[in-house]
Amino acid sequence: MTQETQSALTPEVRAMIGVSGDVVEAWGEVDGEYLRRFTQAVMDPDPRYWDKDFAESTHYGEIITPPIMVSYLASRIRPDQDDPVTRAFEENPESDGIGSIERPGELPPVPTNLMRILNAGNELEVYKYPSIGDKVFFQNRYSDIRERVGRDGRAFLIITRETTYTNQKDELLCITRASTIRR
Amino acid sequence: MSLPLEELLKLEAEDILAHNERPKSDDLRNKQQIYYDDVEEGMELPKYIYNPTPTHLFRWSAAIENFHRIHYDLDFGLNHDKNPSILVHGSWKQSVVPQYLKDWILPRGWPWKAQFEHRAMLVPGDILIMWGRVTSKYEKGQMGFVELEIGMMTQDGIESMPGTATVVLPLRGGPDIPYPFVPPAD
Repeated sequence: MTQETQSALTPEVRAMIGVSGDVVEAWGEVDGEYLRRFTQAVMDPDPRYWDKDFAESTHYGEIITPPIMVSYLASRIRPDQDDPVTRAFEENPESDGIGSIERPGELPPVPTNLMRILNAGNELEVYKYPSIGDKVFFQNRYSDIRERVGRDGRAFLIITRETTYTNQKDELLCITRASTIRR
Repeated sequence: MSLPLEELLKLEAEDILAHNERPKSDDLRNKQQIYYDDVEEGMELPKYIYNPTPTHLFRWSAAIENFHRIHYDLDFGLNHDKNPSILVHGSWKQSVVPQYLKDWILPRGWPWKAQFEHRAMLVPGDILIMWGRVTSKYEKGQMGFVELEIGMMTQDGIESMPGTATVVLPLRGGPDIPYPFVPPAD
């Protein structure tokens, strides 16, 4: 980094590394109808997802579900909350449909004036296939924030948010890490 | 016959589609185990070939309740975000990865880890090739660990999701991979 480059990794930003959100219990449970829609949409016809007799004869001993399906299931909008889609468009008729929608368990924002967000990549670690009927718990954490300098000489941030998913037996299901670039 | 990725990319788009190796239900039901002993560096995994339409994208948005308009609202995509069309979801690509790894290690292996980047905007009409290649392998704790290079390439050879993965395969004559998976201690 040149001396002229202003660091984006300020003490306030650095202090966010390791900050965790609450452990959140996702609404509902892992259910067969969500599983059907998910596996059809990802185009995975595995009978381990729907043929109970066959699934019980496999290594896993039961119907399984795709490992990271819980990451989407866990962000379902609860039926007892205000409709965030309608609110987003009331606040901004040009809403992109996602930006203003609050999801449970979100982390406090990283205090930076770098506003442009780009997807930098994902990591997945899988330990157990969620079972039908599982309650899902998740916790977000800023696992890493790094600084890089672009070709234009300006500093930018790579912010990694780690989410750990467990079930009602406190069994570890999977860990996901999503990295975003803030320019 | 399974074509190497390099050969597949030399074909015309419609001919690429003819080499889709995505398994059907019964293929997965009857999947024979690949053992660690049988894996060699450079071995390519089957190629999963997709040709997503706007309806596929809409179905994915609905399934995961992703309301981002860039995936289903063409006017918004073109005129607001200045995208070339509605865009294939990164979340869909991300969800294909564990499926792809699972299918390869069935029935008794484990699709442990993957990491990848999202590059390139993918749009309906693109032909997408999910691919993988063995880069190395090692034994640990009576389990066989296989390192893979993975990606999702367009018909034009643009890599939209370069990444790596680690899967675990049983050794021939060895014990089952523990389930839930517990990695061996370092």
